[in-house]
Amino acid sequence: MNIDEAVKTYQTYYCLDCGVCTGSCPVSRVLPTFSPRIIVEKALFELGDELLHDRELWSCLTCGRCFERCPTNINFPEFMRSLREEAARLGTAPVLSHHGMLQTIMELQTQGIQQKKTAWAREAGRIADKGDTFFFVGCMPYFDVIFREIGVDSLSVSRNVIRILNGAGIEPVVSDEESCCGHDMLWNGRFDTFKTLAARNVELIRASGAKRVVFNCPEGYYTFKHHYPQYLGNLGFEVVHFFDFVETMLADGALKLNNGGSVYTYHDPCRLGRMARIYDGPRNILKRIPDGRFVEMERNRENALCCGTSGWANCSSCSKQIQAERLKEARATGAQVLVTACPKCRIHLSCALGNMDLDIQIKDLTMLLADAVQGAG
Amino acid sequence: MTRELLGLMGIDNDRLALEWVSSAEGARFAEIVTSFTNRIRKLGKSPLGVAA
Repeated sequence: MNIDEAVKTYQTYYCLDCGVCTGSCPVSRVLPTFSPRIIVEKALFELGDELLHDRELWSCLTCGRCFERCPTNINFPEFMRSLREEAARLGTAPVLSHHGMLQTIMELQTQGIQQKKTAWAREAGRIADKGDTFFFVGCMPYFDVIFREIGVDSLSVSRNVIRILNGAGIEPVVSDEESCCGHDMLWNGRFDTFKTLAARNVELIRASGAKRVVFNCPEGYYTFKHHYPQYLGNLGFEVVHFFDFVETMLADGALKLNNGGSVYTYHDPCRLGRMARIYDGPRNILKRIPDGRFVEMERNRENALCCGTSGWANCSSCSKQIQAERLKEARATGAQVLVTACPKCRIHLSCALGNMDLDIQIKDLTMLLADAVQGAG
Repeated sequence: MTRELLGLMGIDNDRLALEWVSSAEGARFAEIVTSFTNRIRKLGKSPLGVAA
């Protein structure tokens, strides 16, 4: 899609030039040279060539706070995504984080490698080859290796999802052949790779006979729920978030929380909150933890601050500043534990916390749940 | 870390070699490259179907 088509598709000509987007943007606060409003204007005034070669195109976190507050409802993140596709076609690229290691893994997954990444799942509990429920693990086996050095044990989250599902009498399908959901490729402007990954996943899930797919990663969930049907049509299976599942189990009494006792605050991941509109589920779960107290940060729900980087690209001093600000905000609530629901938010915020002298713990909601359940034993 | 990641991707760890060779050790460099090339030849084509 070229710039003119992007302008038409996302109706950016409705821009009132009010600047609320730039005023809301967490990047603009740190880097005044970056402005969503100016990007929209350049697109409208046919300065496309300049725009598509501008590195600022990759500074956007696609966190969606501008879209949330735009009076004419311009979907800036999706507009940005289409500009990036066009920019990538013209040969501009983002600065990839971690030397592009994660993008390399994603590319290799489209080349017919035979992955061996489910040994942990068999140790964690009962899994199946075929069945009604497919657990989409996502990048966690890779994250577990890459981010171990900053003390983030990604697979512990996945193990506990399996244990909790097993506890509810469900033996989920977990597959070696699962590919990356394509979220990062999509937002990095590499649509073709995204589509190859997506098609492989849909084929794999259909072949497993699954009627529903459970996600604990917000990016996977949102990409399957929103972008897959857009490009691949009807999927033929249901896309469920793990927390919906947990909420039902808690309401039915199938899952009981016995252990807790801390002060918690919750960081809304952009894909789960502003994009998938899941705000209450995680909060309801947190509020059920016995002897615990839940406190909100000043910027919560629609106004939550981003974790600072997105799509494994352009992690910069700006990202670090945003993360430090978020962590301080969390601590200022009096919370002892900052709870996140996204594997990447957890990684990014933990990385920043490593360089700070701040008395707060970062925990994934699934881990917190597992601790609360285990207290029963 | 690379070895572990290759393992997850199902790529044989024998296809990766990491050696330190000083610029003064030309003969050693040639030796290492020759033996690694022979090792890869013996392993055959990679499952990727591309030069990895």
